[in-house]
Amino acid sequence: MIANSIRTRLQLWYGLILVVVLTGFGVTAYELERGHLFGRINSELDRRANLLADAMHHSGGPGPEGGRGPGGGPGGEGPPFDRPPQRGFPGDGPPDGRPGGSPPVLQLPPQAAGLFDASDPNNFYFIMYGKEGGEVRRSTNAPPEPLSFTGPTVVNPPPDDPHPLGNRRPPTHTFVIQGNRAEYKLDMPLGGSFVVGCTIAPELQALRLVALKLSVAGVVILGLGIGGGWWLATRAIRPIEDISAAAAKISAGDLAQRINLADTESELGRLATVLNSTFARLEAAFAQQQQFTSDAAHELRTPVTVMLTQTQLSLGRERSPAEYRQTLETCQRAAQRMRRLIESLLALARLDAGQEAMQHLKFDLATVIHDCADLVQPLAADRGVTVVLEASPLECVGDPERIAQVLTNLLTNAIHYNRPQGEVRVTSAVQDGIAIIIVRDNGTGIAPEDLPRVFERFYRSDKSRTPGGHGLGLSICKAIIEAHSGSLEVASEVGVGTTFTVRLPIP
Amino acid sequence: MRLLIVEDEPDLLASMAQALREEGYAVDTAADGEDGLFRAETVDYDAIILDIMLPAMDGWTVLKNLRRAKKTPVLMLTARDQSRDRVKGLDTGADDYVVKPFDLPELFARLRALIRRSANRTTSRLEIGRVVIDTAARTVAQDARLVEITAREYALLEYLALHRGEVVTRATLYEHLFGDDDDTLSNLLDVHVSNLRKKLGHDFISTRRGHGYCIE
Repeated sequence: MIANSIRTRLQLWYGLILVVVLTGFGVTAYELERGHLFGRINSELDRRANLLADAMHHSGGPGPEGGRGPGGGPGGEGPPFDRPPQRGFPGDGPPDGRPGGSPPVLQLPPQAAGLFDASDPNNFYFIMYGKEGGEVRRSTNAPPEPLSFTGPTVVNPPPDDPHPLGNRRPPTHTFVIQGNRAEYKLDMPLGGSFVVGCTIAPELQALRLVALKLSVAGVVILGLGIGGGWWLATRAIRPIEDISAAAAKISAGDLAQRINLADTESELGRLATVLNSTFARLEAAFAQQQQFTSDAAHELRTPVTVMLTQTQLSLGRERSPAEYRQTLETCQRAAQRMRRLIESLLALARLDAGQEAMQHLKFDLATVIHDCADLVQPLAADRGVTVVLEASPLECVGDPERIAQVLTNLLTNAIHYNRPQGEVRVTSAVQDGIAIIIVRDNGTGIAPEDLPRVFERFYRSDKSRTPGGHGLGLSICKAIIEAHSGSLEVASEVGVGTTFTVRLPIP
Repeated sequence: MRLLIVEDEPDLLASMAQALREEGYAVDTAADGEDGLFRAETVDYDAIILDIMLPAMDGWTVLKNLRRAKKTPVLMLTARDQSRDRVKGLDTGADDYVVKPFDLPELFARLRALIRRSANRTTSRLEIGRVVIDTAARTVAQDARLVEITAREYALLEYLALHRGEVVTRATLYEHLFGDDDDTLSNLLDVHVSNLRKKLGHDFISTRRGHGYCIE
């Protein structure tokens, strides 16, 4: 439930994206800082190595020229590094006649000595190697072993780096960082090399501090981001929760529930408005259905009560044949009434479901009207009502039996609710491809408050039980006409009469 | 006991009226609300059976108007069994409620209970000295032996027993024992009283000259 909630999923994605972004940012910042630091160390070592080499060269002193003492060079005009040295490197052997073993003590030129103050072990140190690879000199603070200059740590000097050591074959620069030491090796083109190094523990410490700060900042931002995201998600989700709570109550049976959203302009507000109107229609349809069921039950209850009362009464004691006969007749009337009601209910249910198969036959409307008028003639005569027909032959397509059912019903109503010596007039005409049948009486009329409800199921304006009537007739008429894609309308004035208008499209 | 039935379904009205007459009640009938209200206001019925769905004036309105003037026990009869309808009926002043379709014995029992309550009785047994009247079984026993008695005699006895100690006038007895449709010969009441005295003892019903009858 919680793992599947939109809020949790939103939060997870949000957190994931935030972690990726923060990690990327932190790693980049760290790498930039580290690159910058190492670049600075590199250029510092580079500067010192070159100064050292330069100083050695200018002093003609030690270094590549061999183990001559300071000032041993010819007037400071030693051969440049890129030139073949006149003699081998110191320590390469005994060309200078010195016995090998103890490194010669050489004095650094003053400008170089200032660069390598050996009094502090954390200061820069240097180691010089001769042509044969042997160590020539080292500063006193140099560690016993140089770092191994292999692997991918070669840093080529920038091309615009003014090279102080000749211009034909530049020396090779190598920069390496291992542990907390950084070393820079300058390989001279003609052999021999300088290694300049220093300990970078304070820099690494600072770098670690940067990493720590970045991590802490990242965690804080992530926390704030997730917290803010949770708050935002909660705010965004709240209307959904309101909607879901209201929907749950409605599905639990409380159809009067509505979603109460103050903000009706947002997307969720519009959704809530749509849902609310759906709920309202649902409630109305439900109420209508409930009313219909209740009315149907009511209509069935009365005849059942008649039968039950009548049979219990008759069976209470021995009766005469005439009394039994009367009981049976009463029961028959009740049963007929129930049958009519059940047939009407079934017809309505089928019409509602669109299952009532309507025939598509060509028929003459005038013939149908005349047949219906003949059918109701006895009732009209009984009531002293005249039925006047003004129907000319008119070919329609549809279900003639159903149309006849509608017309008979309308005629019966028109006669029943007429006054004595009243008149019922049926006219038919065609207008714009639509057949119009008008059944007009000059009877009692229907009260304005009842008029909109006459097509409602079980609605009876006078509340009395008309013989055989159950308040479904007009509902069925309307359903039949609508199944023919037509319309049935009513207009009435109390004391003047009622007019029912049937419109049927002629294909 | 005189009853009024207000019901618009003619078959139901006829069979209920017949069944209740056979139970010994004097029964008047009305087929719509207006007629029902008029009768209920004019005559002191012992109980009224009132349908709700009525032409001219519905049962609620009849009941509301009747309650302004009278406390006659009313049994509502309806085809709607939703509880809010029942609540509305009872709140409007109905004394009981029967939902269609009902069983006749149940209707009878509810009517008896209604009449009994209105006479401030709680059981269906009335004991007057050696005579025991069972209003549920509609039997009369004296010294634990059943007494043969006609429906009209029973109705007279029950009415007097329910109003024990009161002097009941001849007019009241006529009103409660005979419906509109009954032939009421002026001496019919004397015949019934005389028959009851023969069966239960001469002193059982006393006559107050110029006033009426009484069971002490």
